[in-house]
Amino acid sequence: MQSETPLPSAMADLLGLDPSNPLVIFVMAFVASLVVASGLLTLVAVSGIWGKRKITAAFTDRIAVNRHGPMGLLIIPADALRLLSKELIIPEGVDRPAWDLGPLIMVFSALAGFAVIPMGNGIQIADPEVGLAYVFAMASVASLGLVMAGYSSNNKYSFLGGLRAVAQNLAYEIPLILTGMSVVIFAGSLRMSTIVAEQADTLIALGPVAIPQWYAFVNPFAFVLFMVANLAEVGRNPFDIPEAPTEIVAGWQTEYSSVYFVLAYLSEFIHIFLGGAIIATIFLGGPAGPVLPGIVWFLIKIVAVYLFTQWARSAVPRVRIDQLIEIGWKGMLVLSFANLVLTAIIVGVIA
Amino acid sequence: MSLEKRTPVVDDVGVTEDGVDYDALADLLGDSIIDREHHVNAEGFVIRPDDVQSVLRTLKDEAGFDHCSCVTAQDYDDRYESIYHLKKYRDPTQEVSVVVPTPKDDPRHQTGSDVYETANWHEREAYDLVGIEYDDHPDQRRILLPETWQGHPLSQDFNQDQPQVVSLREHANPLQDDKQSPDDPDTMFINIGPHHPATHGVLHVKTVLDGEQIVDIDPDIGYLHRCEEQMCQQGTYRHQIMPYPDRWDYISAGILNEWAYARAAEDLADIEVPEYAQVIRTMSAEMCRIASHSLALATFALDVFGDFTAVFQYGIRDREIAQDLLEDLTGQRLMFNYLRLGGVAWDLPEPREEYFEKIRDFLDDLPEKLAEYHDLVTGNEIFQMRCVDTGILTPEKVKDYGATGPVARGSGVDYDLRRDDPYGYYDELDWDVVTEDGCDNFSRVLVRLRELEESARIIEQCVDLLEEWPEDDRTIQANVPRTLKPDPDREIYRAVEGAKGELGIYIRSDGTDKPARFKIRSPCFSNLQSLAEMSEGEYIPDMIASLGSLDIVLGEVDR
Repeated sequence: MQSETPLPSAMADLLGLDPSNPLVIFVMAFVASLVVASGLLTLVAVSGIWGKRKITAAFTDRIAVNRHGPMGLLIIPADALRLLSKELIIPEGVDRPAWDLGPLIMVFSALAGFAVIPMGNGIQIADPEVGLAYVFAMASVASLGLVMAGYSSNNKYSFLGGLRAVAQNLAYEIPLILTGMSVVIFAGSLRMSTIVAEQADTLIALGPVAIPQWYAFVNPFAFVLFMVANLAEVGRNPFDIPEAPTEIVAGWQTEYSSVYFVLAYLSEFIHIFLGGAIIATIFLGGPAGPVLPGIVWFLIKIVAVYLFTQWARSAVPRVRIDQLIEIGWKGMLVLSFANLVLTAIIVGVIA
Repeated sequence: MSLEKRTPVVDDVGVTEDGVDYDALADLLGDSIIDREHHVNAEGFVIRPDDVQSVLRTLKDEAGFDHCSCVTAQDYDDRYESIYHLKKYRDPTQEVSVVVPTPKDDPRHQTGSDVYETANWHEREAYDLVGIEYDDHPDQRRILLPETWQGHPLSQDFNQDQPQVVSLREHANPLQDDKQSPDDPDTMFINIGPHHPATHGVLHVKTVLDGEQIVDIDPDIGYLHRCEEQMCQQGTYRHQIMPYPDRWDYISAGILNEWAYARAAEDLADIEVPEYAQVIRTMSAEMCRIASHSLALATFALDVFGDFTAVFQYGIRDREIAQDLLEDLTGQRLMFNYLRLGGVAWDLPEPREEYFEKIRDFLDDLPEKLAEYHDLVTGNEIFQMRCVDTGILTPEKVKDYGATGPVARGSGVDYDLRRDDPYGYYDELDWDVVTEDGCDNFSRVLVRLRELEESARIIEQCVDLLEEWPEDDRTIQANVPRTLKPDPDREIYRAVEGAKGELGIYIRSDGTDKPARFKIRSPCFSNLQSLAEMSEGEYIPDMIASLGSLDIVLGEVDR
């Protein structure tokens, strides 16, 4: 399976090394991953510790953090220090090492998903032919972490949360991927760079303004389906059922404290951004946009998706677990199949 | 005047145009009655300990007393006594007390819980605190105190200095053998609370789950028991008791609670309250109701939406405005201590116009805010999906459990003491009692939202009255003796419409300046008892929502 490595190759060129040498590429890929992961973690730190509070406060008529630094921004290092310096409580009877691995798997699966996302300005670690399949696979590995965390915590709330997580992911992963596949039918490829490139063409030209052929415009129905399924995938209202703080305390993450809690919390945010990245790439033209550089547009798009999840969280009630399963299997699955078949027919007729 | 006066119910036995004809009731009960007592609120029939069920059954089925409002237990020098305070949902002014004396050396009599489901918890409390045992009671356990408690603290021979020893065995890991219920190996036992985000305080719900569904629940209360009844028994009528009611339902319902004590004590001591003070009481009590219902809506949003949602903060924001108004009036944010026997502590804050303006601003903004709530909450499809037809409590069960307030009115039981047993200035004003027929969580939320409008109407009329009130006629307190000593052995049970329902006080005087027995009938206590009825067979989230829709405050449940 051949894979291109845009960012590591570019870095090798820059340093005057030979990009065709596998060893050079291996080292450069490592460095590139560090760069991308650091950038992501910074984004998560800003949005997870500071942004989330400010956004929720804006929705709920409050002020939120404003004591440390300008606009309270210094709360980020303060909170990081606070969380990391807390005692790590390991409850009696937890099933190690599954209990320790759970949060790690969640974080790294989400981070690994970003390896194939084209973020504009040549920032893309790898561009394999099966890019989209890879990214869905990686996003789903997190469910494994959830189950491990829920099952090994020796806590009934965690256990219920773990079971809910599995039920929810089964109900939503399939519609999510089926809807994603309708994009593949348009693009004719699973390769991320091809999907982005296909969306660059003009759909309609309104005088000087050319509306590009983003799949969100071409097939808005699939876009809405995908947005909803993605909310369930990242576990945000109305689908934050695996955690459901007022029902099962904190679900699978009840027993995690200190660093492990940070990892669990981190993974949620990285997942939201990974969901945003997938949406940006397959529906919103990836890093494409006027004037500003690609990476900025890409960030704008994933932050927009993040804002949407926070909005839903502030204003939408949570559905019940049986209602969620029903929506997933009886509603979304049917709709996503219909969408896939119709797309195939239309594309077949036009082509 | 749209507040419809209900015609007295005269088709029951012993009911005449003027009220209850106790002789006719006595004829109905025949030989069961061994003596008659006169309480201030109603006649009391003294009966034998083994006649309890037949007497209660007769009164319920044949005389229409379908509401067992409260069971008071007390310890005299020569006997123990249980009093069943019976009323009618159709007309709560028709009351009768059933008094069951039992000998000092063997305080036990038949249970009334077969007739009224609500007597179950009340009798458990009587057993727990006073020590009367109830034969054939389905569940004779302690309810407020720990199971290991020695003695009964409200009985006369309770030794306060006795150490309460809890053996090590009692401290055994409570999770040890709770993997499942013994009857069904597929079920799972889970402790919801006492530290749980959705129990609104320290409530412990012992839950047995089958998957996500609830097989059995058993609310365990008493974590916030602060001996409020006993503390009131140690205070003097005039001033020392009034601060306590603020601490029962401490969620901004202070003046409503104070009024319960004020009404009972004023009727006990024959104190007339000046009309001007009644209007101020009515206005401030309705502000409390607005604050309390806003918070009920806010916390219900916590349970159904999740934490840190817009609805929660909006509810808190609007409650805060009512809270500010109350603070201007009483000088305190939550623990008002504003009512006095015979009136209120002081007049409205000066300048009066400014205060009225502030109230009017609040009332003017309210409709817009309510529309916002309806948009955001009751109009939301997901919210409806969650709340319609969940947590069903039929009107029959409402009466059986003695549920009152918005819980009863959400099940179509048209019962509101402000109209049915008028006090204060309510019967002079133009307002409606809100009922909904859904019997579900949604109806209970809707009732509270609509009651906000009615409270606003009442406040507006009170403000109009107060503005016009002639300056030389603003008497805020009646002339009350410095030391109140009601005649010995006067007994009274009086209730008001609190934020959560019927808040009743029973007082027995013994000729001193302190009550001999002070019993609180908490609406939350009775409402909470119906949780099992609403939740069994439903999903966990529905149980949480039902608990939220009951709007309990543990301070009032446990007292």
